[in-house]
Amino acid sequence: MSISSPERDALQHKSALVVGVGGLGCPVALALVEAGIGRLVLCDDDLVDSTNLHRQILFDESDVGTDKLEAAQRALYRSGARPGSIELVHSRFLPENARDLARTVDVVIEGADNFATKFLCADACFLEQRPVVHGAAVRLRATVLCVAAAGAPCYRCLFEDLPSGPAAPNCAEAGVLGPVVGFAGALMADRALSVLLGNTHVFGNLVSFDGKDDRARELTLAARPHCALCSSERSITTITFERYTAASCAA
Amino acid sequence: MATVRIPTPLRTLTGGEDQVQAAGDTVKDVIESLEKNHPGIRERLLDDKGVRRFVNIYVGDEDIRFLDGLATALKASDEISIVPAIAGG
Repeated sequence: MSISSPERDALQHKSALVVGVGGLGCPVALALVEAGIGRLVLCDDDLVDSTNLHRQILFDESDVGTDKLEAAQRALYRSGARPGSIELVHSRFLPENARDLARTVDVVIEGADNFATKFLCADACFLEQRPVVHGAAVRLRATVLCVAAAGAPCYRCLFEDLPSGPAAPNCAEAGVLGPVVGFAGALMADRALSVLLGNTHVFGNLVSFDGKDDRARELTLAARPHCALCSSERSITTITFERYTAASCAA
Repeated sequence: MATVRIPTPLRTLTGGEDQVQAAGDTVKDVIESLEKNHPGIRERLLDDKGVRRFVNIYVGDEDIRFLDGLATALKASDEISIVPAIAGG
């Protein structure tokens, strides 16, 4: 989507939280800054590693070994972020801070590298009635889902709960291809800007991209009738640590 | 024969192939056909309750949850896509 001058003015008064400043979060943050967002909160606790550089576009060789958020902030100010508009949360997105972080922004963009954080983010955003854009990329495949503040359909409508057991995705097989992550990150930013500008057509929209044949399939997700999070029969009404303890699948 | 698109995590079971042909009148039949040629794939897709909760199966652009589930009838020209949950970036 393109940003008009009135839309750019409107974005001055909008805020976003980026959960995970990695291969997805970097292009998201850059695009939101370039669009003129008024407040951008970055949440991560990692250091820049040399293996990040092929896809985490806010960083270069001089950042290796340094705090990822500090490096991202420097890069975003160099790119024209409004003075004072970048806030840093030097922490993982955790059960103890999730709702507080979600509550303060207009949209949450989740590019976490593990399932526990993805489900936690979905739950926290639903409970705080915040729209959320979920994104993931592994090897040649990427998915992006945009969820409304009202919740349904939500991430748990798509994938009910954390993978577990012998049939869970094999993390050891995972890898990340820079252009595929970049595609997904750009699409996540596009969805976030749509949400911030009041475009509701993106809610429930699921894009699944396969970089092997450059094919993107777009679906309108339907709410799961008995969804534990967003249906009338919901059982998830609070954030509890135990719900998010499955093994991660960092890539 | 339906065409089944295989996601990256399952390609170790299909010899690296990203799509395979499988016979069957329903999605369940096709999965059984896949299991014969690619042992182990059924367990990755199904549990005792049906399709695993972190996997989605589509016929064309339709999620089988909103069709007839595993009993969804297929045409020979149908394309089945398996979309597992992924985390990474």
